[in-house]
Amino acid sequence: MAGPDAPKVIFIGQPNCGKSTLFNSIAGLKAETSNFPGTTVKHTHSRVSIEGRLLDIIDLPGTYSLCPSDPAEKTALSHLFSDKPDLIINVVDASVLGRSLEFTIELIELGWPMVVALNMMDLAEKKGVMIDPGKLASLLGVPVVPIIASRGRGVKELLDEAFTALEHTGRPGARTWSRDVESRVEELARLLPPEFPVVANRRFTAVKMIEADRLFCDVMLGELEPGLKAEIDRVRRGMESGRSAPAYEIISAERHHLASKIAEESSRVEHGKKVPWDRKVDGIIMHPFYGYVILASVFMAFFFLIFKIGNPLETMLLKPFISLDQDLGRHLGSNVLFHLADGLVQGVGGGIAIVLPYFVPLLLFMAFLEDLGYLARAGFLLDAFMHHIGLHGKSVGPFILGFGCNVPAIVSTRILESRRDRIITSLLIPFIPCSARTTVILALVAFYLGPWAALGFYVLNVLLVAILGRVITLFTKSPSPGLILEIPTLKRPSFRNILKKTYFQLRSFLAFAWPLLIAGSIFLSLLQALHIDRTINMVLSPLVAGALGLPRELGVTLVFGFLRKELSLIMMLQALGTGHQGLLTVITKEQLLVFTVFISFFIPCLSTFAMLWKELGRKVALLSAALSVSVAILLAWIIRIVA
Amino acid sequence: MFPDARNSDIMPVARTMRTKRMSLVEAPIDKPLRIVDIAGGESVRRRLLAIGFHKGDLVELDSLAILKGPILVRSSASGMRVALGRGVARKITVEVLDGRS
Repeated sequence: MAGPDAPKVIFIGQPNCGKSTLFNSIAGLKAETSNFPGTTVKHTHSRVSIEGRLLDIIDLPGTYSLCPSDPAEKTALSHLFSDKPDLIINVVDASVLGRSLEFTIELIELGWPMVVALNMMDLAEKKGVMIDPGKLASLLGVPVVPIIASRGRGVKELLDEAFTALEHTGRPGARTWSRDVESRVEELARLLPPEFPVVANRRFTAVKMIEADRLFCDVMLGELEPGLKAEIDRVRRGMESGRSAPAYEIISAERHHLASKIAEESSRVEHGKKVPWDRKVDGIIMHPFYGYVILASVFMAFFFLIFKIGNPLETMLLKPFISLDQDLGRHLGSNVLFHLADGLVQGVGGGIAIVLPYFVPLLLFMAFLEDLGYLARAGFLLDAFMHHIGLHGKSVGPFILGFGCNVPAIVSTRILESRRDRIITSLLIPFIPCSARTTVILALVAFYLGPWAALGFYVLNVLLVAILGRVITLFTKSPSPGLILEIPTLKRPSFRNILKKTYFQLRSFLAFAWPLLIAGSIFLSLLQALHIDRTINMVLSPLVAGALGLPRELGVTLVFGFLRKELSLIMMLQALGTGHQGLLTVITKEQLLVFTVFISFFIPCLSTFAMLWKELGRKVALLSAALSVSVAILLAWIIRIVA
Repeated sequence: MFPDARNSDIMPVARTMRTKRMSLVEAPIDKPLRIVDIAGGESVRRRLLAIGFHKGDLVELDSLAILKGPILVRSSASGMRVALGRGVARKITVEVLDGRS
């Protein structure tokens, strides 16, 4: 991100306001982009060139206010303050204007150059809310541009307005509040010593000190200015005595009234007679009975769709690689060169023919559900069940993401407010069959034992997560703080968005996992050629052959399973020296099942482990690994005894 | 610390007579309601404020999930909808506006 000359533009807004959609449609125009993989869930930097002018655009996670309550919001704020933007683009969901403006008003208090992108104008109109952007702009004192980000409308006008704002560096002035509140704020602002490290401006700093968490304030100010703390308490008490409510509530109410007034004056509500279509649909989707029927059908459909698409594709795509491998064997004999080529073919072929047919439909389907707004609804439906495992409905989102990939799922636990919930959710996520493990399950269990066996495997897997959750929460004392989750308006999914999301995820697979797969495959071939694999197998033999009753040749695949789960699958075929077709001649169905179970659970993959470590610390990561190993051994044992 | 926040259920008899107060969980569905009090810990209250629920706001109860699941509340002003766990909803006191407001 070199080059200090490009102005920094920060995109900020409340969750679900369509901020990332807007960001992507602008970053899509880019000349050069750097998208740091794995950080997209947190914040994304992009350098874009628009009509020859460079901009550094930064997408922050959604936040409801500048008083953060969960780690994702804290990230948003620390970037807002440390990046010192040249311009803020505040994305506002026009369909919930009054509520969204509370945050806009808070942002204006910063006094930094700002443009409001009034998004989802189409949704607002459908709800019968007609907004006058000109009126809104004059009431707020900042430019307002109406846009429909999902269809790319108004984006050019927004960028024009952004460039104008950057040139003129006009600073918006904060709206003042009721006299009794405002006078207290002014009092504290005057009391700040001249050399005090002010954020944005003196008024903003004073407001934040009054409304901030008592704890946060004490820690920060105790070090900075001991005398000031007493003054803040005095000002706070003065404000509270007049209204008999806590100071943070008074200030929030001031913004609330201002926002409601501005929203009322700048928009007209046309009350339609009939119930809008999305509320009718929601009535069914979130129905106490049909809702669950639909939820179950969605997952069944999901599963069979992937199987129906993936299975024939896999067979078709594997063919050329199998024949190529046989040709190689004929021409090269069995020297080191053959082993290298064999590893290469297996790795490339494994990526294309085993992972992609299942991975791509899965990503598409996940993106579709996300775009529709179904995840929050699933959270609503499953909240009651989540309480039984000691969590609440907000954890459903990360869990469902976990079916795609565990790594972003763990990052997404940042939306949970309490650390307790984050840890429990993160400990359970590695047990959710991610797309890589789904691939293993589909390619092994479904391919050899039939789709019903695979489905059963899935159901048992979900049950396992529930049981584990119950067990883990036995060891935690404090209860979960309870669900507060906004249900976004149901949207017609945008094809473009879905493709874009799928593309971004696929690209990170192709760039990161596939090379690893190929390298791992070649490496294993080399080990075989040099007979080092025997040593590894011998070391692991007590576990593999003794405890699990599997062929000891599979020992080395476990090592690769730690890198990525789907590697184990490809490695298994290679380690046993057989093709996809002849597998059952080498091991029994029971052994296949034991192997799949063990591989699925025995340890979080390397990326998941690293992410756990980074997000929640070493203790949680190691605990997760220990938990996985014990569960995997226990389950494999049970299957051995039962089968 | 703040009497009206902490002792929401100990209201003067005269006021209780005029308007019927109840927790959001017990409120009737699809009737206009006014939030009269939000109790509970500071962090829960802060989150409710940030998401846009304030004292005095008009809301409607959309639906209740089964098995003591969450409730779905809609803000009459903005139309925004929020799912609240029962534990949270129990701490919000509302009064029914019998079309007299």
